Amino acid sequence: MKNFIANLGYFLKEARRIIFSNMLSNIFTFLGTVLILLMLASVVTGWNIASRLVKMLEQEAEISVFFHEEMDEKKILDLTENLGKLDGVWNTRLVDESEAYRRMEEILGNDAGILELFEENPFKAYIEIRIDPGQLDTIVETVQGFKEIDFVRDNRSVLESINDIIMGIKTIGTLVIFAVGITTIIIISHMIRQGIFNNRDQIKTLRLLGASRTFIGFPFICVGLLITVAAGLLASLIMVLLIHKGYQIMGGSIPFIPLPPMTDLLLGVTLVIMGVSIILGMAGSLFGLSSIKEH
Amino acid sequence: MIEVKDVSLRYRDGTLALNNINLTIGESELVYLTGPSGSGKTSLLKLIMGMEYPTSGIVRVMGQSIPEEKPEDLRNMRKRIGPVFQELKLVPGRSAMENVLMGIRFLDFSRQEIKENAADALEKVGLAHKADSMVENLSWGEAQRVAIARAIARKPGLILADEPTGNLDHDNAVNILNILASFRQKNTSVIVATHATHLIENQRNITIIRMSGGNLTVEKRGGEK
Repeated sequence: MKNFIANLGYFLKEARRIIFSNMLSNIFTFLGTVLILLMLASVVTGWNIASRLVKMLEQEAEISVFFHEEMDEKKILDLTENLGKLDGVWNTRLVDESEAYRRMEEILGNDAGILELFEENPFKAYIEIRIDPGQLDTIVETVQGFKEIDFVRDNRSVLESINDIIMGIKTIGTLVIFAVGITTIIIISHMIRQGIFNNRDQIKTLRLLGASRTFIGFPFICVGLLITVAAGLLASLIMVLLIHKGYQIMGGSIPFIPLPPMTDLLLGVTLVIMGVSIILGMAGSLFGLSSIKEH
Repeated sequence: MIEVKDVSLRYRDGTLALNNINLTIGESELVYLTGPSGSGKTSLLKLIMGMEYPTSGIVRVMGQSIPEEKPEDLRNMRKRIGPVFQELKLVPGRSAMENVLMGIRFLDFSRQEIKENAADALEKVGLAHKADSMVENLSWGEAQRVAIARAIARKPGLILADEPTGNLDHDNAVNILNILASFRQKNTSVIVATHATHLIENQRNITIIRMSGGNLTVEKRGGEK
């Protein structure tokens, strides 16, 4: 370790030399990495906004539970509370007859007058349950198992669509992040292998003199890290400018998708990109270094 | 220090480089390997360095058997050797000093010792004034002395030098052999492969190994004439 720290200056000098010895190739690697990280930054930004949409959609997922009419108020409240304890249930709320009537008036709007044709309120009280749409089947099955329950209206097709959208957003995001990660690792490791090939005589000599793999390989890890971190910084800077511009253009124009506070978004994206840069730089370098054989 | 027992080395193309040789080299011994080109001098040095493995027989260098059981065993053994390669293996684009430093940075020396050892070594081979010169701008003879400086700066237990005087003038060649020989006083064994038999004719207290066709004969020359 002492030896390692004493040689830090040497490692950085070697890293600089490796970068400059193949300048053009490293510039293209740098630009390629910037573009990839920029793509990742866009995905992270989109993900951040989409996750708000997902949350919003998840909050819209609800089922209506109708209970037997002869139940007294205490039993209904107990039932509401018990349903709220089920796994996958966000919250429960008792909607009484008058609220049910009012809601229908709102839905019907100008046609609400039709409700006046009824002498009595035709709507029954029910329990509104907001649920995790991914657990729809289990929850409905469990709720139907309660003896106090008359029937469950689950809006299955709507809930399934919500679930599909959520899964789609999550899957696409994961796939893109995975693809970007793999691509960066391949680019960086290829660059490191190129560096190793260019310096093969020096590496061979150092091995013959008894230098360890860590000593030989550390300058190459520094190169990978320097390039990805610099690329991460540039990608973050470009993304910050793009987000600023985007907020100026789109602010308020898409009211159904609530944009997160800009500072939160900028901080989140920058942290993710810099963290990913460091991790991918390390991973790519180590992967590239695996080509240094012991003999 | 070095034990070679019933060792043969046959390369992949079928060439028999060493043919059932036996050899023991003790501590502080100065050994000259002589013989025509292709007689097996370099092959024997490569075997001792762990650059080649014996086809049969036993090789032990400073307590380490070759082939080694673990990669770090070979590394640790090599750290104790000061090699001077026939083809020098200096790193272009670096100064003479950087090349010497490159050979000792990872050894167990303090930062101060590393600097001192490198400067002393270059001084010893008469290249202190060229410490900052790029190795590609040096003559072959000077580059050869940088390679020797890199070997001796390591303060090794064993020096293996393959034709270290090959391109040096007479005075420099004698000087280099004297420097290498002086390491005996520091409990270092020195093995020098050379064609320059005229330079060792008058040397005493040495071992001469004459190689021919992968076989060897050993002559121990005492301290008195």
